[in-house]
Amino acid sequence: MSLDYVKFTPGFGKFMPKEYRDMVEHGPFGKKVSVSQVGTFKEILEEHPMCAGCAMTLFIRLAIVAFPNPEDTITVGTAGCGRLAISQAAIPFVYGNYGDQNGVASGLTRGLRLRFGDKPKDVVVMAGDGGMADIGFAQTLHSWFRKEKFTTIMLDNEVYGNTGGQESGMTNKNQVLKMAPLGKKFEKMDMLGMAKVSGCAYVATVVPNNPRRVESVIKKAVLVAREIGPSYIQAYTSCNIEYAIPTDKVMEDAKTVETDRYKFSEYITDEAKEYLSQLYGYKEYLPKPAAAVEKR
Amino acid sequence: MYLVANIETEICAATSCKLCTQYCPEANTILYDNAAGEDKGFKYGAAYVAVDRCKGCAQCVWVCDNMAKHNAIKMEMIDQIGETALTENVTYGEKTSSAVLANPVRGQM
Ligand SMILES: Cc1ncc(C[n+]2csc(CCOP(=O)(O)OP(=O)(O)O)c2C)c(N)n1
Ligand code: SF4
Ligand code: SF4
Ligand code: SF4
Repeated sequence: MSLDYVKFTPGFGKFMPKEYRDMVEHGPFGKKVSVSQVGTFKEILEEHPMCAGCAMTLFIRLAIVAFPNPEDTITVGTAGCGRLAISQAAIPFVYGNYGDQNGVASGLTRGLRLRFGDKPKDVVVMAGDGGMADIGFAQTLHSWFRKEKFTTIMLDNEVYGNTGGQESGMTNKNQVLKMAPLGKKFEKMDMLGMAKVSGCAYVATVVPNNPRRVESVIKKAVLVAREIGPSYIQAYTSCNIEYAIPTDKVMEDAKTVETDRYKFSEYITDEAKEYLSQLYGYKEYLPKPAAAVEKR
Repeated sequence: MYLVANIETEICAATSCKLCTQYCPEANTILYDNAAGEDKGFKYGAAYVAVDRCKGCAQCVWVCDNMAKHNAIKMEMIDQIGETALTENVTYGEKTSSAVLANPVRGQM
């Protein structure tokens, strides 16, 4: 894991597939790229079998573009739709058993720190709402209470998409789904509140109809997890299949849902603010200057 | 046959807002050529679609029509589209990419 692993073995370059050569020669490794430059460099994410028009796919694509150091990043996922794409990217992907992702990431993060010392290796978990708030709930919460330094991203499509439409803890109350014909009986779980209570240093909600904002929160979350503590992003990534959203209306839905009930929110501890401003030049977190001295 | 997105270079090159490239769910699909439209006097380049990666969702059409308000993208049948960009003909350069156009269904009809 370093820039070396994306180079060719001498003499073998010309035998590699075009996509591989494009990745080595025009990929984002070792460069600073931004979401506004997509279409002009080779992206790390490759072709994958997720559904056409899926907002989760768009979010994953944007998130991977936003990783601050992709050459030093490992993703961790689990059963669910997202892994179908996350695993098809030119960065290492670890597949945890369903719900085990935050436990696996805890061990991985600790191991990487033992092996590589201070050189940051970023671990990013991306998993569905079912994998995170239901089946992996204990491991998710424990990794936060234990202050494990990695980023957790919930791909919240408010349903078990991969298995045909069962309700999850993150489904809204009264929502009827194919496999929840009587409607869900309890409220959407407050994972954001739990992330704050359990000690996450950075928590944000985001919807992919604002790509630059997705980029901004991912960067902050990954950087904060390097040194300060766990970070959590909850992203509304609609399932157009289970919620019957026509694919050309997915962004319209994202916009409506963002306005109605998934507003952008950001929580950051003072320690994380200081760290982002001092080490990474985030001006917005600089302490406010004392009131200007009055002119005599 | 199935639908893929097709971008009208001249409409796109008039503004080249680059919005659709940020909203396509598929990676490496809507690409951006800084020199497109240069021969017709446009100076900002234009977006184009590597149609072999396009899944036909039409999200880009919604974005170009409703967010950018440029109406530069149409969904077209892959066998009616004529010459277009394909991944194997795409060349990446410094902050741009370009493609030699080819017929996506030639030899398969
Ligand atoms: C231990 C275990 N139980 C059940 C499953 C079956 N399973 C695979 S994906 C999935 C649901 C995924 O839902 P979610 O985590 O919300 O992700 P989504 O597919 O909606 O993105 C289930 C139950 C499994 N793979 N492993
Ligand atoms: S089932 Fe839903 S969440 Fe899964 S890939 Fe399809 S649209 Fe996306
Ligand atoms: S949104 Fe429309 S005008 Fe803007 S870059 Fe895309 S095709 Fe061109
Ligand atoms: S139709 Fe969908 S997959 Fe095809 S270019 Fe447009 S947004 Fe991308």
